[in-house]
Amino acid sequence: MSALLEVKDLSVSFETRGGVVRAVDGLSFSLGAGESLGIVGESGSGKTVSSLSILRLFGLFDDVSVSGKILFEGRDLLRVSEAELSRIRGGKIGMVFQDPLTSLNPVMPVGEQVAESIRFHTGASRPQAHRRAVEMLDRVGIPDANKRCEELPHSFSGGMRQRVMVAIALACEPKLLIADEPTTALDVTVQAQVLLLLDELRREMGIALIMITHDFGVVAATADRVLVMYAAQPMEHCSIHHLFQRANHPYTEGLLRLVPRFEHQVHGRLHPIEGQPPALTEEIVGCPFAPRCSFTLDRCKQERPPLFRIGPDHESACWLAAERAERETLPDKPWKAV
Amino acid sequence: MSSTDNKESVLPARRRARAGEGIGVLLLRRLRDGIITLLLVVAVIFVLAHVVGDPALVFSPVDASDEEVERIARAFGLDRPFWERFGSYFADIFTGDFGESWWQNRPALAAVAEALPNTIYLTLAGIAGAALTGIVGGVFAGSRPGSLFDRGSNFFSISALSVPNFWLGLLFIVIFSVQLGWFPTSGMFGVSSIVLPALTIAVVHGGRVFQLVRSATVEEMSKPYVRVARSKGFPHRMVLWRHVLRNTGLTTATIAGWEYVRLWGGAVFAIEWVFAWPGIGTLTINAAERQDFFVLQAAVIIAGVFVIVSNLVVDLLYRVIDNRIKSS
Repeated sequence: MSALLEVKDLSVSFETRGGVVRAVDGLSFSLGAGESLGIVGESGSGKTVSSLSILRLFGLFDDVSVSGKILFEGRDLLRVSEAELSRIRGGKIGMVFQDPLTSLNPVMPVGEQVAESIRFHTGASRPQAHRRAVEMLDRVGIPDANKRCEELPHSFSGGMRQRVMVAIALACEPKLLIADEPTTALDVTVQAQVLLLLDELRREMGIALIMITHDFGVVAATADRVLVMYAAQPMEHCSIHHLFQRANHPYTEGLLRLVPRFEHQVHGRLHPIEGQPPALTEEIVGCPFAPRCSFTLDRCKQERPPLFRIGPDHESACWLAAERAERETLPDKPWKAV
Repeated sequence: MSSTDNKESVLPARRRARAGEGIGVLLLRRLRDGIITLLLVVAVIFVLAHVVGDPALVFSPVDASDEEVERIARAFGLDRPFWERFGSYFADIFTGDFGESWWQNRPALAAVAEALPNTIYLTLAGIAGAALTGIVGGVFAGSRPGSLFDRGSNFFSISALSVPNFWLGLLFIVIFSVQLGWFPTSGMFGVSSIVLPALTIAVVHGGRVFQLVRSATVEEMSKPYVRVARSKGFPHRMVLWRHVLRNTGLTTATIAGWEYVRLWGGAVFAIEWVFAWPGIGTLTINAAERQDFFVLQAAVIIAGVFVIVSNLVVDLLYRVIDNRIKSS
């Protein structure tokens, strides 16, 4: 199967007053049609910027330089013309953003906000687009969609607004949906509803998904594969099963230990990873996680580890995995760093 | 349902309550405020003229003796107690009696009424030019901050609003009337006369409108919904027209309205004087030079009325546009 989306060695940096910020540094991954990938990381790890660069949706005031390739259906999105990009945005790739409260235009009825996208991409007439918008709103679970589509966003709750956002993103039946922390701003119960809805719809419509999040729960619920990012770099890339059962990278392990679990420790304590992520304005030599890692080798401080292939569906950017990469032909067995 | 819901519903609920009161109630409330303001304006003018200054001295010749001044004060009833004078002053003004102009030998109000349409004509032409250049320029500059057009027009507008309006008017006269001979230097003869004074207003006030509209647009462009509109594939122009302008339209209309009020607040007077435009400003300055107390007083009060009325209209327009946006 040829990949729907192939990101090759993507690097993004911003020119700011504080210096050049490397927001994404050497990111590669691919995504087949209908597949779903979770990108996990702390804030500032580059996950949102990676997703924005797919559609070149940087801020209008940002001074950005991007290198690498983002191949979507064989075309490099970093190099396609504005007109081409305009057809892809919202047409073939839909996007759901973090904050549903500010993501809708406050003075435009929600139905119109769905319909305008349909009209733009399909050339449907105003009434046709309106009908489809109402259908879409109904499908994402807006009660009484026929009437409520005339209302302005402020009369909808956060969860309902995020449903409207999902309707907008999926209105033109895209091939790929990018969801950038779609549930972070929502209450837990509402989070679950929105995630379920996203997952259901994308499976029904056969849409590939990139789910950006800092929440392993969200990843577990929606993704087939996971990419863990730290300090703008990919750390580990594996299937969802590998992630929870045999995470390889010390950073991933550290993150997983932070997920509170009832069954293990009722009175237990969380073990935060010591130290702080490095500033992205400074040049990082070696592994960015080395200063906080408990397994640091001399090599880690001098040389940046590449993503080693350590299993059929498992890559890890850790020098400790180098040896394992050589033994990759051996049968899989639980493997621990040290 | 959720905490965000509760936080969300508090503000709009209050806004809805106010929105529900209807345009009529708003009109009445603003009218009441306007009348109170007008009363205060009239009272302040009286205090300035009769308490801080002494009208009897103003009415007398420069070399008049003390007895003569006293005689004049008696003739005008200025020897009466303060409250009595205050009362008759109010009664006169609200029955439309603003006194007689000595200089023009006719009621002061008639002199003002003759100048008034000319000032309305000039301010409307000027504000139309200012709004057009300021809004169009501000939107384009603000939608692409840092672009060549943005930096160029920003520089131009800062220069325009930093220059005194009368000086700019004189500059235009030197360039376009004296050097090029395209327009008359002064007065009001046909359409060509209004070009230079209106242009002066358009440049100075357009500069300010530009600044405010630009910053409103820049702020709006960085809101998340703009990124969402871009994620739908809309080209820049469409994002601007369909989404951003719908949100800044209200602010923009208000900014233009305020500038119009500023004109009536005195900005147009200097321009009229420079171009010898026969409006209220020129009349006021002439009256002051000739010590024509009653014309001066009438002109200031009428200008005050226009400031109040313009404010009222801006307020009501804001509401009408707001309602139309909300219900469309």
